[in-house]
Amino acid sequence: MVSLSTEQLKIGYGDKIIVEDLNLSITKGEITTIIGANGCGKSTILKTLARVHSAHSGVVYLDGKMIHKIPTKEIAKKMAVLPQSPEAPSGLTVYELISFGRSPHQTGFGRLTEKDRRVIQWALDVTSLSSFADQAVDALSGGQRQRAWIAMAIAQETDLLVLDEPTTYLDMAHQLEILQLLEKLNKEEGRTIVMVIHDLNHASRFSHHMVALRNGKLIKEGTAEDVMTSEVLKEVFQIDAEIVQDPRTKKPVCLSYDLLQKETQGKKQKAVSF
Amino acid sequence: MNDVRTKRKKFMITMSVLFILTILTFIISLNLGVVKIAPIDVFKTLIGHGTIRDKLVLVDFRLPRMILSLLIGAALAVSGAMLQGVSKNELADPGILGINAGAGLAVILFIYFFQGSMNSVTTFGIFLMPLFALAGAVLAAFLIYILAWKKGIDPVRLILVGIGVNSGFGAAIVIFQLKMNPQDFMQAAVWLSGDIWGANWKFVSILAPLILLILPFAIYKAHVLNMLNLGDQVATGLGIRVEKERRLLLLMAVALAGFSVAAGGGIAFLGLTAPHIGRKLVGPRHQLLLPVTALLGALLLLAADAIGKNLLAPTEIPVGIVVAICSAPYFIYLLMKAK
Repeated sequence: MVSLSTEQLKIGYGDKIIVEDLNLSITKGEITTIIGANGCGKSTILKTLARVHSAHSGVVYLDGKMIHKIPTKEIAKKMAVLPQSPEAPSGLTVYELISFGRSPHQTGFGRLTEKDRRVIQWALDVTSLSSFADQAVDALSGGQRQRAWIAMAIAQETDLLVLDEPTTYLDMAHQLEILQLLEKLNKEEGRTIVMVIHDLNHASRFSHHMVALRNGKLIKEGTAEDVMTSEVLKEVFQIDAEIVQDPRTKKPVCLSYDLLQKETQGKKQKAVSF
Repeated sequence: MNDVRTKRKKFMITMSVLFILTILTFIISLNLGVVKIAPIDVFKTLIGHGTIRDKLVLVDFRLPRMILSLLIGAALAVSGAMLQGVSKNELADPGILGINAGAGLAVILFIYFFQGSMNSVTTFGIFLMPLFALAGAVLAAFLIYILAWKKGIDPVRLILVGIGVNSGFGAAIVIFQLKMNPQDFMQAAVWLSGDIWGANWKFVSILAPLILLILPFAIYKAHVLNMLNLGDQVATGLGIRVEKERRLLLLMAVALAGFSVAAGGGIAFLGLTAPHIGRKLVGPRHQLLLPVTALLGALLLLAADAIGKNLLAPTEIPVGIVVAICSAPYFIYLLMKAK
């Protein structure tokens, strides 16, 4: 079943068009990862999916309904959004931050109900932040802070999570920790996850579906095996990649790579010197 | 883990302490002044058994002024807290954003064009001047909003435009002030530095309902301020209609500042200091921050007015100057601590 889809999406900032004719569909219960070079429009697409940025033309459908026709609070009950490196006001505690995730379910003054407290506690447990509940978010380490934000997003209790680079600025262990948490949420609770990540091997390892973009155009989508090929990576990143199978996860991984451009530049220089 | 409950407890204690301090300051202020009145006489007068002189000083002069101080203090402080929440910048305040300057320019124009010909403050003038101040404040806010608008409001642009508008109005104020006669100049100077001058019951009866209506509504909107504080993207993701809510909150903050400026002149720093101390006491969640900030603002302004009235009595120091003198060291301290 389709959770989120786009039809002929055209997005840009002012006159600058970044994405054109994008037709995407996100399957329910799957982890979908968008990959592509810097500036290829990944974040812009996520923002448009999350109705934070509005498209020039085209439509985004959430559960089959046009997203701009749904009241924003209703959307917030179905889709949680986490932007790139969000910032919490100084002094805000982890518990308070997570409690904000309950706001789409609240009315009036925003007092927490018994159910709200249960969900917040669960989000704390799942992200292993229980012992940090009283600490200020801005005093945590990078990995803990990112977990706190994810805890806020999952406390929203939505089927769909849209995450923009949830692992950026984290070290290898903490990146894996976040991704395993997302995988667990997907497996155990059936949450649909759409995210942008830069590490191709992580994308390959954790996603059911990968979408590769170049200059706002969809180059290839499919399983990790479909997308993680040297042909696709050549087109998407201009790299010459050595793809092998990970002996542990059996997923394709990029073992080593070189820049393609250097070769062509070298050739050009030769041509000039001749 | 009952983080929210411990915070609530802290909040209750903070509120109680502030409330008691305010009551104490209120009682002390009642006794102090050019005419000193003993506590027992204050009590007698308040239950209607005082001398005529005591009644005049207390009920007609002192009480309305003190009540205005409380109202203006609370309004300015909450206005500052709201502007800081909306703009995501802890340095935003009605004074910095040019709202005070807008009101100031309107009042200067009023004094320049009308007051001179009326040669003294008439009843007409007393009620017209705040209206001018309010109009100036709203005009300034409108101008800032329009100039900062570029397919939505970016908080940083809002602040920068506000600072620009502030200096523009400031320049215009100086131009008109320099052309005034000495008496008008003095009046303008006192007004600009912040002075609770319209201290009578009529004024209280107009301002009290307005301010007491907006304050609870602001607290009702506390959860929206919390979301906006997390940034536009997160707020949208949490189901907040960012642009619409921000406009509404800005409007409320401007109205609060406008009413305060109308009655208390250009009191700077209070909208900055009170929320800052509030945040130190109960943290950035607005359900707790706004009530604490309101009470702090009321207490600070009441105390500042008492100091200004009595320190060099019978000469009065404008309350705005007292607030500024007390706030400046606090901010230098904060800066030094922040490195």
